[in-house]
Amino acid sequence: MFGKGLVKGLVITWKEFWTPKVTIQYPEEQPPVPERFHGRLSIEVDKCIACGMCVNACPNKVIELKKQKVGKKQFLTDYVQNVQYCLFCGLCVEACPKDALHFTAIFNMNQYFYDNLPVVLVQREAPAEPVEKEEPAAKAGSGDKVKPKPKAKVDKSVPAAASEVAAGKAPDKEGQ
Amino acid sequence: MLKTQEYNLNLGPQHPSTHGVFRILLTLDGERVVKAEPIPGYLHRGVEKLAEARTYTQFIPYTDRLDYLAAMLQNWGYVMAVEKLMGIEVPERAEYMRVICGELSRLASHLIAIGTYSMDTGGVTGFELALRERETTMDLLEELTGSRMTLSYARIGGVAADAPEGWLDKVDKFMDKMPAYIDEYDGLIAGNEIFQARTMQVGVIKPETAISYSLSGPNLRGSGVNYDLRKAKPYSVYDRIDFDVPLGTNGDCYDRFYCRLQEMRQIVRILKQAVAQIKEVDGPVIGKVPKVLKPPKGEAYEEIESSKGIIGYYVVSDGSAKPYRIHVRRGSFINLGYLDELLRGVLLADVIAILGSLDIILGEVDC
Repeated sequence: MFGKGLVKGLVITWKEFWTPKVTIQYPEEQPPVPERFHGRLSIEVDKCIACGMCVNACPNKVIELKKQKVGKKQFLTDYVQNVQYCLFCGLCVEACPKDALHFTAIFNMNQYFYDNLPVVLVQREAPAEPVEKEEPAAKAGSGDKVKPKPKAKVDKSVPAAASEVAAGKAPDKEGQ
Repeated sequence: MLKTQEYNLNLGPQHPSTHGVFRILLTLDGERVVKAEPIPGYLHRGVEKLAEARTYTQFIPYTDRLDYLAAMLQNWGYVMAVEKLMGIEVPERAEYMRVICGELSRLASHLIAIGTYSMDTGGVTGFELALRERETTMDLLEELTGSRMTLSYARIGGVAADAPEGWLDKVDKFMDKMPAYIDEYDGLIAGNEIFQARTMQVGVIKPETAISYSLSGPNLRGSGVNYDLRKAKPYSVYDRIDFDVPLGTNGDCYDRFYCRLQEMRQIVRILKQAVAQIKEVDGPVIGKVPKVLKPPKGEAYEEIESSKGIIGYYVVSDGSAKPYRIHVRRGSFINLGYLDELLRGVLLADVIAILGSLDIILGEVDC
């Protein structure tokens, strides 16, 4: 029959018109993200023992970790995720012995300037004396909010003491 | 008679129909191809060399980047080679999870293959239809692994995590719907007369040629050679799963395409069985693996049937925590070996149809 194809096509169009739309009006609407989603990292500073296992597990030297010895314990001072080299493989999260490192659902980590790309998760100064009960690190960005302008460079005000161990130094972008 | 002059035409790189960053230097006489020189290398990252600076586990995410459309199959091949080297046993449940994730990856890859092939031959609707189902497949993979494309799901000794609650049922439900979708592609793409005219009796590869050029995957089976590693050398739990190997008859572009389409039907069968069987298997998804992997001195080669062909990993260990050498036998790269001879004498428009039918992925070609 002449025009049969046209009718068939219109039937499909008509059906499709009434089906629920799949388009999401991003960024007003956020897409649904599964629980295991590999987004930005987040670290629970209270749990972290600054062992550097995540740094060793990373295939691309993404994580920059700095710690200082306070009393007998290691104190995490800086934790930076160089997101531009991150493969989001999850080996760091798996390596964490204290379950302090997690993935968040945040996938929007774009920055206008290249220098702002690294996500600073922790940047704080070590206390002079060991405290009995750790204060709930106020400066730690362990929440789910992205910092407006995270800085790549670590705080220079922290004195480069001999005890400071630059375990997470990422000297080479190629990871060689 | 009108005299024509031979001239060179660079097809690609960056052209959508070259499926990535691939260039063919065509020498044309009018519209006929006289000579075709494939020039890969625009995506070369030195993955094999990068492996030497990393530990065995750290190399897993890099294998994803070889075939980013079916990342799990690459992971799987690599971890199997390391497991063979170290003599690690993989728990049964992990094997099933590998099969399920691997077959979903294969489905995602084949969907792109048939979708882009439809677009290469002039039908955009086929591409959009294929992407619709691929979206669901990727949603499932994302729920399982946390990533959509570069899954990094396999681990030496098992897989990264068990299936989340209700996930297996979701796969099962999706597989119930899938045959109807495949029928749709069959009718719309394979049943299209223009498509048939552009692909039938075009780019014929004879079975003996396919074997002598070491072609593998649907490109080999499209020529009618019954060789599928899942049947020929059953690995993992494929020996417990009942499925057929679709074969072509003429070895032309249409057969290679149709092989992939039929393979998708087999994927549905495999997944349905695997999901049913895994429910009876309990236990961990990762075996007993030392924290620091130091395989003994030696070498191992393990190959699996990837969506593009046979992917093999040759791992050499010097006893340290880092591999001494890794070589990847990439199906896509070897499938390109016959391209020059295949393209000689065909029309320029057929070059696209033939290249598309080989379903190469440049991540794997360049490595």
